Amino acid sequence: MMDKLAIVAFLAYALTVLAGGVMAVLARSLVRALVGLVLTLFGVAGLYLLMSSPFLAFMQILIYVGAVGVIVFFAIMVTRPPAGAEEAGPRSARQILLAAVSGLAPAVLLGLACWKYRVEAGRVPADVDVGRLGEVLLGPYVLAFELISVVLFVAMAGAVLLGFERRRDR
Amino acid sequence: MSALLDLLNNPLVYYQTVAVLLLGLGFFGLIWRKSLVGMLISVELMLNGAGLAIVAASQLTRADAAMGQLAALLVMGLAAAEATLVLAITVVVARRFGHVESENISELRG
Repeated sequence: MMDKLAIVAFLAYALTVLAGGVMAVLARSLVRALVGLVLTLFGVAGLYLLMSSPFLAFMQILIYVGAVGVIVFFAIMVTRPPAGAEEAGPRSARQILLAAVSGLAPAVLLGLACWKYRVEAGRVPADVDVGRLGEVLLGPYVLAFELISVVLFVAMAGAVLLGFERRRDR
Repeated sequence: MSALLDLLNNPLVYYQTVAVLLLGLGFFGLIWRKSLVGMLISVELMLNGAGLAIVAASQLTRADAAMGQLAALLVMGLAAAEATLVLAITVVVARRFGHVESENISELRG
Protein backbone atom coordinates (compact mmCIF):
# COMPACT_ATOMS: atom_id res chain seq x y z
CA MET A 1 0.00 0.00 0.00
CA MET A 2 2.69 2.49 1.03
CA ASP A 3 4.73 1.41 -1.97
CA LYS A 4 1.90 2.25 -4.33
CA LEU A 5 1.31 5.58 -2.61
CA ALA A 6 4.99 6.41 -2.99
CA ILE A 7 4.85 5.63 -6.70
CA VAL A 8 1.76 7.81 -7.14
CA ALA A 9 3.40 10.66 -5.22
CA PHE A 10 6.58 10.32 -7.25
CA LEU A 11 4.69 10.42 -10.53
CA ALA A 12 2.73 13.48 -9.44
CA TYR A 13 5.90 15.34 -8.36
CA ALA A 14 7.83 14.31 -11.48
CA LEU A 15 4.99 15.47 -13.71
CA THR A 16 4.90 18.79 -11.83
CA VAL A 17 8.65 19.20 -12.27
CA LEU A 18 8.63 18.43 -15.99
CA ALA A 19 5.52 20.47 -16.80
CA GLY A 20 6.97 23.43 -14.91
CA GLY A 21 10.30 23.01 -16.69
CA VAL A 22 8.71 22.96 -20.13
CA MET A 23 6.67 26.02 -19.22
CA ALA A 24 9.76 27.82 -17.90
CA VAL A 25 11.66 27.18 -21.12
CA LEU A 26 9.00 27.68 -23.77
CA ALA A 27 6.58 30.31 -22.39
CA ARG A 28 6.37 33.48 -24.45
CA SER A 29 5.95 35.77 -21.49
CA LEU A 30 8.76 35.85 -18.96
CA VAL A 31 6.37 36.11 -16.04
CA ARG A 32 4.75 32.85 -17.15
CA ALA A 33 8.21 31.33 -17.44
CA LEU A 34 8.84 32.37 -13.84
CA VAL A 35 5.58 30.70 -12.78
CA GLY A 36 6.80 27.54 -14.51
CA LEU A 37 10.11 27.78 -12.65
CA VAL A 38 8.31 28.12 -9.30
CA LEU A 39 6.19 25.08 -10.19
CA THR A 40 9.38 23.11 -10.87
CA LEU A 41 10.89 24.27 -7.57
CA PHE A 42 7.84 23.08 -5.65
CA GLY A 43 7.97 19.74 -7.45
CA VAL A 44 11.64 19.28 -6.55
CA ALA A 45 10.78 20.14 -2.93
CA GLY A 46 8.20 17.35 -3.05
CA LEU A 47 10.80 14.93 -4.38
CA TYR A 48 13.09 15.90 -1.46
CA LEU A 49 10.23 15.12 0.93
CA LEU A 50 9.78 11.78 -0.76
CA MET A 51 13.46 11.04 -0.15
CA SER A 52 12.90 11.70 3.58
CA SER A 53 14.89 14.91 3.72
CA PRO A 54 12.25 17.37 4.98
CA PHE A 55 14.83 19.96 6.00
CA LEU A 56 16.03 20.23 2.41
CA ALA A 57 12.46 20.52 1.15
CA PHE A 58 11.88 23.35 3.59
CA MET A 59 15.09 25.09 2.54
CA GLN A 60 14.19 24.59 -1.11
CA ILE A 61 10.92 26.46 -0.60
CA LEU A 62 12.55 29.10 1.59
CA ILE A 63 15.61 29.84 -0.56
CA TYR A 64 14.55 28.98 -4.08
CA VAL A 65 10.85 29.85 -4.13
CA GLY A 66 11.25 32.69 -1.66
CA ALA A 67 14.53 34.35 -2.54
CA VAL A 68 15.45 33.30 -6.07
CA GLY A 69 11.88 33.61 -7.32
CA VAL A 70 11.65 37.17 -6.04
CA ILE A 71 15.07 38.02 -7.52
CA VAL A 72 14.05 36.73 -10.94
CA PHE A 73 10.81 38.68 -10.68
CA PHE A 74 12.80 41.81 -9.86
CA ALA A 75 14.99 41.16 -12.91
CA ILE A 76 11.89 40.88 -15.12
CA MET A 77 10.38 44.07 -13.74
CA VAL A 78 13.60 46.11 -13.80
CA THR A 79 14.25 45.39 -17.46
CA ARG A 80 10.68 46.44 -18.34
CA PRO A 81 10.15 44.27 -21.40
CA PRO A 82 7.09 44.84 -23.59
CA ALA A 83 4.35 42.84 -21.92
CA GLY A 84 3.80 39.39 -23.35
CA ALA A 85 6.27 39.75 -26.20
CA GLU A 86 9.64 39.32 -24.51
CA GLU A 87 10.49 36.15 -26.33
CA ALA A 88 8.36 36.58 -29.43
CA GLY A 89 9.74 36.45 -32.95
CA PRO A 90 10.85 33.50 -35.01
CA ARG A 91 13.99 31.51 -34.38
CA SER A 92 16.20 30.42 -37.22
CA ALA A 93 16.36 26.71 -37.98
CA ARG A 94 20.00 26.77 -36.93
CA GLN A 95 19.15 28.07 -33.49
CA ILE A 96 16.44 25.43 -33.00
CA LEU A 97 18.90 22.73 -34.03
CA LEU A 98 21.61 24.06 -31.72
CA ALA A 99 19.20 24.28 -28.81
CA ALA A 100 17.98 20.71 -29.36
CA VAL A 101 21.52 19.36 -29.66
CA SER A 102 22.75 21.21 -26.58
CA GLY A 103 19.80 19.93 -24.60
CA LEU A 104 20.07 16.34 -25.75
CA ALA A 105 23.85 15.87 -25.74
CA PRO A 106 24.55 16.23 -22.00
CA ALA A 107 21.40 14.32 -21.09
CA VAL A 108 22.29 11.39 -23.34
CA LEU A 109 25.93 11.39 -22.21
CA LEU A 110 25.02 11.40 -18.53
CA GLY A 111 22.33 8.81 -19.11
CA LEU A 112 24.83 6.50 -20.80
CA ALA A 113 27.31 7.04 -17.97
CA CYS A 114 24.65 6.14 -15.39
CA TRP A 115 23.70 3.09 -17.43
CA LYS A 116 27.27 1.88 -17.65
CA TYR A 117 28.35 2.51 -14.06
CA ARG A 118 25.18 1.81 -12.15
CA VAL A 119 25.35 1.43 -8.42
CA GLU A 120 23.38 -0.59 -5.96
CA ALA A 121 20.67 1.52 -4.43
CA GLY A 122 18.33 0.67 -1.62
CA ARG A 123 14.62 1.29 -1.72
CA VAL A 124 14.52 3.05 1.63
CA PRO A 125 16.20 6.45 1.86
CA ALA A 126 18.62 7.16 4.68
CA ASP A 127 17.29 9.07 7.65
CA VAL A 128 19.32 12.08 8.75
CA ASP A 129 17.99 14.42 11.40
CA VAL A 130 18.72 18.11 11.44
CA GLY A 131 20.93 17.86 14.49
CA ARG A 132 23.34 15.58 12.69
CA LEU A 133 23.31 17.91 9.69
CA GLY A 134 24.34 20.77 11.94
CA GLU A 135 27.08 18.71 13.58
CA VAL A 136 28.52 17.72 10.21
CA LEU A 137 28.25 21.26 8.91
CA LEU A 138 30.15 22.72 11.86
CA GLY A 139 32.52 19.76 12.17
CA PRO A 140 34.22 18.35 9.08
CA TYR A 141 32.69 20.81 6.62
CA VAL A 142 33.17 24.03 8.52
CA LEU A 143 35.46 25.41 5.80
CA ALA A 144 32.77 24.99 3.12
CA PHE A 145 30.27 26.62 5.49
CA GLU A 146 32.48 29.65 6.00
CA LEU A 147 33.39 29.88 2.32
CA ILE A 148 29.78 29.89 1.19
CA SER A 149 29.07 32.80 3.52
CA VAL A 150 32.04 34.66 2.04
CA VAL A 151 30.74 33.91 -1.48
CA LEU A 152 27.29 35.22 -0.56
CA PHE A 153 28.76 38.36 0.96
CA VAL A 154 30.99 39.04 -2.06
CA ALA A 155 28.07 38.45 -4.43
CA MET A 156 25.90 40.91 -2.54
CA ALA A 157 28.64 43.53 -2.27
CA GLY A 158 29.39 43.09 -5.98
CA ALA A 159 25.72 43.46 -6.85
CA VAL A 160 25.48 46.70 -4.87
CA LEU A 161 28.68 47.95 -6.52
CA LEU A 162 27.40 47.11 -10.00
CA GLY A 163 24.04 48.75 -9.43
CA PHE A 164 25.54 51.84 -7.83
CA GLU A 165 24.96 54.97 -9.86
CA ARG A 166 27.55 57.67 -9.39
CA ARG A 167 26.06 61.07 -8.70
CA ARG A 168 26.67 63.31 -11.68
CA ASP A 169 28.62 66.51 -11.10
CA ARG A 170 26.88 69.59 -12.38
CA MET B 1 16.55 -8.39 -20.00
CA SER B 2 17.31 -9.02 -16.36
CA ALA B 3 19.58 -5.96 -16.37
CA LEU B 4 16.62 -3.89 -17.50
CA LEU B 5 14.45 -5.34 -14.74
CA ASP B 6 17.15 -4.55 -12.21
CA LEU B 7 17.23 -1.03 -13.51
CA LEU B 8 13.47 -0.62 -13.25
CA ASN B 9 13.56 -1.87 -9.66
CA ASN B 10 16.10 0.75 -8.74
CA PRO B 11 14.41 3.92 -7.42
CA LEU B 12 17.60 5.92 -7.86
CA VAL B 13 17.19 5.63 -11.63
CA TYR B 14 13.84 7.43 -11.58
CA TYR B 15 15.14 10.37 -9.58
CA GLN B 16 18.19 10.63 -11.80
CA THR B 17 16.00 10.54 -14.90
CA VAL B 18 14.08 13.54 -13.63
CA ALA B 19 17.36 15.30 -12.81
CA VAL B 20 18.83 14.62 -16.26
CA LEU B 21 15.65 15.85 -17.92
CA LEU B 22 15.89 19.06 -15.89
CA LEU B 23 19.50 19.48 -17.02
CA GLY B 24 18.54 18.95 -20.66
CA LEU B 25 15.63 21.40 -20.41
CA GLY B 26 17.94 23.96 -18.84
CA PHE B 27 20.55 23.64 -21.59
CA PHE B 28 17.84 23.83 -24.23
CA GLY B 29 16.43 27.00 -22.68
CA LEU B 30 19.88 28.57 -22.35
CA ILE B 31 20.29 28.47 -26.14
CA TRP B 32 16.61 29.03 -26.94
CA ARG B 33 16.04 32.15 -24.86
CA LYS B 34 16.83 35.59 -26.24
CA SER B 35 16.85 37.67 -23.09
CA LEU B 36 19.21 37.50 -20.14
CA VAL B 37 16.36 36.90 -17.69
CA GLY B 38 15.14 33.88 -19.65
CA MET B 39 18.66 32.49 -19.57
CA LEU B 40 18.79 33.03 -15.79
CA ILE B 41 15.59 30.99 -15.42
CA SER B 42 17.15 28.17 -17.48
CA VAL B 43 20.28 28.16 -15.31
CA GLU B 44 18.13 27.85 -12.20
CA LEU B 45 16.47 24.79 -13.77
CA MET B 46 19.87 23.18 -14.33
CA LEU B 47 21.02 23.89 -10.77
CA ASN B 48 17.85 22.29 -9.44
CA GLY B 49 18.58 19.18 -11.47
CA ALA B 50 22.06 19.09 -9.95
CA GLY B 51 20.72 19.35 -6.41
CA LEU B 52 18.15 16.64 -7.05
CA ALA B 53 20.77 14.25 -8.45
CA ILE B 54 23.13 14.84 -5.51
CA VAL B 55 20.46 14.26 -2.88
CA ALA B 56 19.09 11.17 -4.63
CA ALA B 57 22.54 9.65 -4.99
CA SER B 58 23.39 10.20 -1.34
CA GLN B 59 20.03 9.29 0.20
CA LEU B 60 19.47 6.06 -1.69
CA THR B 61 22.96 4.57 -1.76
CA ARG B 62 25.43 3.79 0.99
CA ALA B 63 27.16 7.15 0.59
CA ASP B 64 27.15 9.58 3.51
CA ALA B 65 23.62 11.00 3.47
CA ALA B 66 24.45 14.08 5.55
CA MET B 67 27.17 15.07 3.11
CA GLY B 68 24.78 14.85 0.18
CA GLN B 69 22.19 17.04 1.88
CA LEU B 70 24.85 19.61 2.77
CA ALA B 71 26.12 19.60 -0.82
CA ALA B 72 22.58 20.35 -2.00
CA LEU B 73 22.42 23.21 0.52
CA LEU B 74 25.69 24.58 -0.87
CA VAL B 75 24.23 24.40 -4.38
CA MET B 76 21.26 26.43 -3.15
CA GLY B 77 23.57 29.03 -1.64
CA LEU B 78 25.57 29.30 -4.85
CA ALA B 79 22.35 29.60 -6.86
CA ALA B 80 21.20 32.46 -4.65
CA ALA B 81 24.55 34.26 -5.03
CA GLU B 82 24.49 33.73 -8.79
CA ALA B 83 20.94 35.04 -9.11
CA THR B 84 21.91 38.16 -7.17
CA LEU B 85 24.85 38.87 -9.44
CA VAL B 86 22.83 38.21 -12.60
CA LEU B 87 20.19 40.64 -11.35
CA ALA B 88 22.85 43.32 -10.93
CA ILE B 89 24.35 42.62 -14.37
CA THR B 90 20.87 42.73 -15.92
CA VAL B 91 20.23 46.09 -14.31
CA VAL B 92 23.50 47.49 -15.66
CA VAL B 93 22.89 46.11 -19.16
CA ALA B 94 19.30 47.39 -19.22
CA ARG B 95 20.47 50.84 -18.12
CA ARG B 96 23.19 51.00 -20.75
CA PHE B 97 21.45 49.42 -23.74
CA GLY B 98 17.75 49.81 -22.97
CA HIS B 99 17.08 46.12 -23.51
CA VAL B 100 18.53 42.76 -22.48
CA GLU B 101 18.49 40.75 -25.68
CA SER B 102 21.66 38.74 -25.83
CA GLU B 103 21.99 38.89 -29.62
CA ASN B 104 22.33 42.65 -29.71
CA ILE B 105 24.79 43.06 -26.87
CA SER B 106 27.39 40.60 -28.06
CA GLU B 107 29.93 43.10 -29.39
CA LEU B 108 32.99 44.19 -27.48
CA ARG B 109 34.64 47.53 -27.98
CA GLY B 110 38.38 47.57 -27.47
